[in-house]
Amino acid sequence: MIGYLIDGPLWYFSLAVFSIGVVWQLVAIIFASRKTDLSVARGSASRGAIRNVFSRFIPHREIAPQIRVQVVAGYMFHLGLFALLFFAAPHVIFLEENFFGFGWTAMPHWGFILAAQFAFLGLIILWLRRMLNSVSRLISTLDDHVAAILTFVVMLTGCLALLEGFHELRLLHRFTVELLLIYFPFSCLMHTFTFIPSRAFTGAWFGRRGIDS
Amino acid sequence: MRIQTLLLLLCLALLQFQAYAADRPPPAPGMVSTVPGADLWREVRQRDGMIIDGISQVKGVDTGVLINAQGDKWARFRINNPVKHAPTVIIAVVLVLLLFYVIRGKVGIEGGLSGRMVLRFTDFERILHWTLAIVFLFLAITGLVLLVGRPLLIPLFGKSAFSMLASASKESHNLFGPIFLVSLLMMLYSFARRNIYEKGDLTWLLKGGGFIGKGHVSGGFFNMGEKSWYWLVILVGLVISISGLILVSPNFGQGRVIMGISHVVHVLGAIILMAVSIGHMYMGSIGTEGSSEAMKSGYVDINWVEAHHDRWAKECHQKDQVISAEEFARLQGTSLDRANVEATEQAK
Amino acid sequence: MSERLQKGLEVLRAEVDSKVQSFFSSCVRCGVCAESCLFYTETKDPRYTPIYKTEPLRKLWKNEYSFWGKLTGKLGMTKAMTEADLADWEELVYDGCSMCGRCSMVCPVGVDIAMIIFKVKHALAVAGFSPEGLVETTQRAIDVGSPMGVTLKTVQAVIKHVERDTGLSVPMDVEGADYMALLSSNEIALYPEYLESLVKIFDHAGVSWTLSSEAFEATNSGLQIGNKAIAGQLVQRVVDGAEKLKVKTVISPECGHAYTALRWEGPNFLGKAYSFKVVHILELLDELRAQGRIKTTGMETDRLTFHDPCSIVRRGGVLAQPRNLLEPITENFVEMTDHGSMNWCCGGGGGVSGNERAEELKHTAFNRKKSQIEELKVDAVVTACSNCRMVMEDGIEANEMDMPLLGLTELIAEHLAEDRAE
Repeated sequence: MIGYLIDGPLWYFSLAVFSIGVVWQLVAIIFASRKTDLSVARGSASRGAIRNVFSRFIPHREIAPQIRVQVVAGYMFHLGLFALLFFAAPHVIFLEENFFGFGWTAMPHWGFILAAQFAFLGLIILWLRRMLNSVSRLISTLDDHVAAILTFVVMLTGCLALLEGFHELRLLHRFTVELLLIYFPFSCLMHTFTFIPSRAFTGAWFGRRGIDS
Repeated sequence: MRIQTLLLLLCLALLQFQAYAADRPPPAPGMVSTVPGADLWREVRQRDGMIIDGISQVKGVDTGVLINAQGDKWARFRINNPVKHAPTVIIAVVLVLLLFYVIRGKVGIEGGLSGRMVLRFTDFERILHWTLAIVFLFLAITGLVLLVGRPLLIPLFGKSAFSMLASASKESHNLFGPIFLVSLLMMLYSFARRNIYEKGDLTWLLKGGGFIGKGHVSGGFFNMGEKSWYWLVILVGLVISISGLILVSPNFGQGRVIMGISHVVHVLGAIILMAVSIGHMYMGSIGTEGSSEAMKSGYVDINWVEAHHDRWAKECHQKDQVISAEEFARLQGTSLDRANVEATEQAK
Repeated sequence: MSERLQKGLEVLRAEVDSKVQSFFSSCVRCGVCAESCLFYTETKDPRYTPIYKTEPLRKLWKNEYSFWGKLTGKLGMTKAMTEADLADWEELVYDGCSMCGRCSMVCPVGVDIAMIIFKVKHALAVAGFSPEGLVETTQRAIDVGSPMGVTLKTVQAVIKHVERDTGLSVPMDVEGADYMALLSSNEIALYPEYLESLVKIFDHAGVSWTLSSEAFEATNSGLQIGNKAIAGQLVQRVVDGAEKLKVKTVISPECGHAYTALRWEGPNFLGKAYSFKVVHILELLDELRAQGRIKTTGMETDRLTFHDPCSIVRRGGVLAQPRNLLEPITENFVEMTDHGSMNWCCGGGGGVSGNERAEELKHTAFNRKKSQIEELKVDAVVTACSNCRMVMEDGIEANEMDMPLLGLTELIAEHLAEDRAE
């Protein structure tokens, strides 16, 4: 019964909440009020915008040594997660069957495991840092902790089901994924999408002034 | 060809005999065994200690071994030792510590806490410690499921639920193992220098670390007890990790004998670490006044330093590293300074 | 709800735009911004973390624009904002932020934190939660025309000295001149050499220029206190003066906030584009140099470095010009390790230098600039902002350092060749 719900109605519900939620939020953000800057630009705003979307992936030399933990653990987590989300064999098959109708070359199993290990270690380090560092402790909100823990639980249940031999474990994983999808549009996880307009706005602002930010 | 087949059939028939014979008492000395093919069978069973590698059509690791005598030894050892005793060891450690707490109580600090603090562990060091701790705890729990799950958990959950739990534990234990190794190596890199044994450590040991009787025991940044725990973690941890790696990747020519030995070493090491880590957790939490702060904010009370690590305390005073309670609160972001308070008063 | 709180919230509400929504949706509280902010790095007080300074606006956004905020609102469970939410942030925003914008450069998700802090400042200013000193200077700027109380008479006195010392005349109220130059009160009062240098350079280069008796003040106290209406009011005076004299371009002097207020924010404060151009004096000087109209002689042999004023370089875009201008006249120039758009603030921007309550914090923040200077073992520091100059001289004195500060425009004037360029 529960399995039927998780593979059926709850899946569709969570998917709907996620897709409608994300689009709604993005539209609300991008089409909110915006005043035109009436000053005369020195440089190109659009060039600055596009440039900044990509340049912020690399920290400035001047600050890099102080933020090593965030950068290294951050990339370990994000790249590991991205790799296993889209290139782990069970996920490739799932995406093929449920979304795209076509698949692509998956990672070898050891690649999947390695990506997961990077993702786990990265996330554990980041979440511990959030609690142990006085700056992050002061500024962190409940949302940040829920997002981290929920993501960890999704990854963990996935790991528990690795053998792909027990439908209860697969269902548990799918259920936690559905929880994450429902939580996503109303949380800081939206940064997955909003970082693009955010970086673009600031890049444009600096670009008008002729500064590479 | 026909003779060989006959011989094989004979051996197989003898297998039945041998299984039955295993329950019978060994023949009294002086008696001549009348079981036919006993010599062949003795060689196959490696009773004289010689491992005969036979020839088979399929070529690979251990394919020439008809019966793995070691395997039986290993299985018995496993059931009779770690599986049987691990829960006892762990529970015993917990009980002893409980008893110790009830009798000796929390080891306090003369004069109590002062509020003046000194930085002991940086953000990164604390992150490392807790990463290792969390990963270790996870591995310990999943490892215990794999070790004692059958006798202890099947009666509780039933076979099908347990098989799911065991699968989940095995997959996650194997995945998190290398994470433990990486964390361990980072701990090695970060803390090795401060854990090198030095003058004064033996004295500390002889005085029982201050637990035996009263009076101060001199210690450096890390006392001898802490150093020994550190090296135990590193060395046993490395043994566990390497044996774990051997176990998790059987594609490098390891035979059953190596796997059996690795498993025993892995499990014994794990039990040692689990037992001693309970003591570590006790000491770092309720066992000693002022210790837990070290791994939370990274700061420790100067009185705690004087009490337990006086040689380091001297350094702290020399380098003027002791901060006031107000400064400590400010660095934690929990102070509202004057201007803010005034503004708040004005606003009221 | 008190009137102050109401006013403050109204401003915060009006400040929520597409950018703000996108920024608050993206911030994941990573704390990288803290490492870029000198108020944090020199005090290690987490409350000076840049994104923490934006809390008042974030709380409003959360309550009124986010899903959870709107939901709890409908359920009547919102944690309403109180006066303390504004009052408690006065010290953080006014004393602990110089609006240097270094945080905006480093945020991994691209939040322009300095911009949001300015929005918070706007709300605090309107609600009346601003440092006394700044309130006074702003009032003085509105009433007298200058935050330091500098009047036309003062300017005329300075002009007299300059004309006497240079033998050149200072044009005043010349209609139809190409350029209208502005001065900051700081320069008039503390660094009159700036005006003298202008006179010499413009004469040398044959620039058609003038001062305006009605609009000589460039400093914008409204910007410093964060009151956009007042800032606009002060910019309008310059606009009126420029339009009256029908000049083509207005020159913003060596004052960081003047440049920000006039060049970049002014049209937005006024809701209208200018009919004239605005350049920073360094931009003009660089243009003249490129056109070959400034001929210099001799080189500074001392080991020199350049302090990048935040509002001019990082937030203003005048990055290459100081280097282009220093190159022909310095033999031994070295860049600070963190230079250009990633240089560190002097600690006195954003009204901090006019805020007595922030004195101690400002001195602590100066430790960053101090270590930057000491690392290079230079003989002198060149800069192009009178506020930076004043703040750094203050800090250098407090630290008993022996370090002269040179103004860039003055340095160029000192090296003008006798014979003019053609």
